[in-house]
Amino acid sequence: MSMRQEQLPDLTDDMFQPADIDSSKNEEIAGESTGFWKDAWRRLRKNLGAIIGIVIIVVLSLLAIFGPMMNEYSYHEQDLMRAKLPAKVPGLENVGFLGLNGVDIRGVDQYEAKGVDEYFWFGTDEFGRDQWTRVWQGTRISLFIALAAAFIDFVIGVAYGGISAFYGGRVDNILQRIIEVLVGIPNLILIILFILIFEPGILSIILALAVTGWIGMARIVRGQVLKLKNQEFVLASRTLGASDGRVIGRHLIPNVLGQIIITTMFTIPNAIFFEAFLSFIGLGIRPPEASLGSIINNGFSSLQIYPHLVLYPSIVISLLMIAFNLVGDGLRDAFDPKLRK
Amino acid sequence: MVSVMANEKLLEIKNLKQHFKVGKSVVKAVDGLTFDIYKGETFGLVGESGCGKSTTGRTIIRLYDATDGEVIFDGENVHGKKNAKELKKFNRKMQMIFQDPYASLNPRMTVADIIAEGIDIHGLAKNKEERMARVHELLETVGLNKEHANRYPHEFSGGQRQRIGIARALAVDPEFIIADEPISALDVSIQAQVVNLMKKLQREKGLTYLFIAHDLSMVKYISDRIGVMYQGEIVELADSDELYADPLHPYTQSLLSAIPLPDPEYERSRTRKLYDSEDYAPKSGEKRVLREVKKGHWVACTEEEYEQFMATV
Repeated sequence: MSMRQEQLPDLTDDMFQPADIDSSKNEEIAGESTGFWKDAWRRLRKNLGAIIGIVIIVVLSLLAIFGPMMNEYSYHEQDLMRAKLPAKVPGLENVGFLGLNGVDIRGVDQYEAKGVDEYFWFGTDEFGRDQWTRVWQGTRISLFIALAAAFIDFVIGVAYGGISAFYGGRVDNILQRIIEVLVGIPNLILIILFILIFEPGILSIILALAVTGWIGMARIVRGQVLKLKNQEFVLASRTLGASDGRVIGRHLIPNVLGQIIITTMFTIPNAIFFEAFLSFIGLGIRPPEASLGSIINNGFSSLQIYPHLVLYPSIVISLLMIAFNLVGDGLRDAFDPKLRK
Repeated sequence: MVSVMANEKLLEIKNLKQHFKVGKSVVKAVDGLTFDIYKGETFGLVGESGCGKSTTGRTIIRLYDATDGEVIFDGENVHGKKNAKELKKFNRKMQMIFQDPYASLNPRMTVADIIAEGIDIHGLAKNKEERMARVHELLETVGLNKEHANRYPHEFSGGQRQRIGIARALAVDPEFIIADEPISALDVSIQAQVVNLMKKLQREKGLTYLFIAHDLSMVKYISDRIGVMYQGEIVELADSDELYADPLHPYTQSLLSAIPLPDPEYERSRTRKLYDSEDYAPKSGEKRVLREVKKGHWVACTEEEYEQFMATV
């Protein structure tokens, strides 16, 4: 101790300066204010997977809207003279390994053999309809069905789950027993019956998907609302005299919204897949209308000879599913970073 | 403060009962409470976890519908059927501060919206400027800055959040505030800050508090009178100095014997008194009722015990 003290230089008062202490700044917060959405967006932006997903969804959506207008063929215009042509793209036809040069798997240039001068970017199907137009037309219908089904799920699910949890007691009991009965009936049977009764078409597929699709959403919303409705901030609002509407609108919905968005993002790829599945087993869209599922179903029978009929719609549907799942995952991480392990 | 206590009653609680059905059995969380709270005082309610303190507070403010009994606030019965207008009037007079500062503020709302919720519900501000002016004033009342108004709860510490909760309660100019363990979730160094703020507000605005807590030393510091609760009933009620100096009920004695002091000499000799409600149950099967043994000192006792107490006093 004494040794160390000796080594210290002499400390005099003039070596020190009083620090500025402003008591009004005691409670100051230096950082930038961040709300929930801002914070979530910041995290989402850093998530490469989610950004890739968003880009894919945007690109595919644009193609679904504008793709069919990009050439002069319509999705139902038949011409057997040009049936079953492989893909041929101007410019890319010279790049051998891409297989976009109109040569089929037997090594015959079908365009030359059939004397076709035009280019069909994804080839043509067995009736000579342009596959590019049909694939994007199909994507458009698949997306439309999925979004509509997800929207109906969202409306029914949020209302049903919210009412069930918010009013609780006997209301909750009855509503939950109804859900259990619905869950007990196999989904597929319900949907097949639905489509058998109504005319097959876009509307009946949407309704069939919505019959049981909302149950997942209803359960999630119910769980969240049950958790929230006895939280102290809701009680505080009640002691201030808030009406039910205010409690739901200002306190419950904003806190469940993240979960609702995530669930919706996972409902969409499910609906796309289910629609494709229904079309694939022949219960879906009727020709000449096309959805991704029905196009794949058509091409599936001649998969070994004309792989291009299955290849392109399959790539599109896979990309869509992956993209929606990536975005859903990203949103989940962004809204609730605690969940990420 | 003692002089204030002789004043009028602000709140009368008569035989308040709150029973919950759990499956087929009934939990008697609060079972026949009777006490008064005088204008301008702080009434402390203490007891172990699960004895019904918080339920009492929540029932008084109508978060739960009372199974039985009356709560009379300023001469009016609070419970029973009420129309929306009467309820709103009542909501302005009685407010609550909550236990958990992390759960009591909506994470999706800004501090300004949280504090102004009462102002919005009761239409206390004519326009946006007036509303914000009131919010700023309230923030400064509880020792926060105006700049905090546009921030979100997660940016604040526990003590700051609790003060936001207090500002929210003050926004409707209440006369009576129920503080449901307002400091038990806070760091000890922050507890004093919040309690002193509550004391200051009481002086300035003439507030009346029902202070629910299990921290006995803090309750003694803030309360004028204290009620000790056990299994849904009040077992002893007295002025706080009187209760600490001369606890009569064995449960109160047991509670007080559990307070540690930062004094090794005292701690070495401190013995913990244990209380067993079954041992203490009256042999005759007579039910104990609250009886006044000294002026303002009430103890739950049987007829026989009452005479014993009176003889010793």
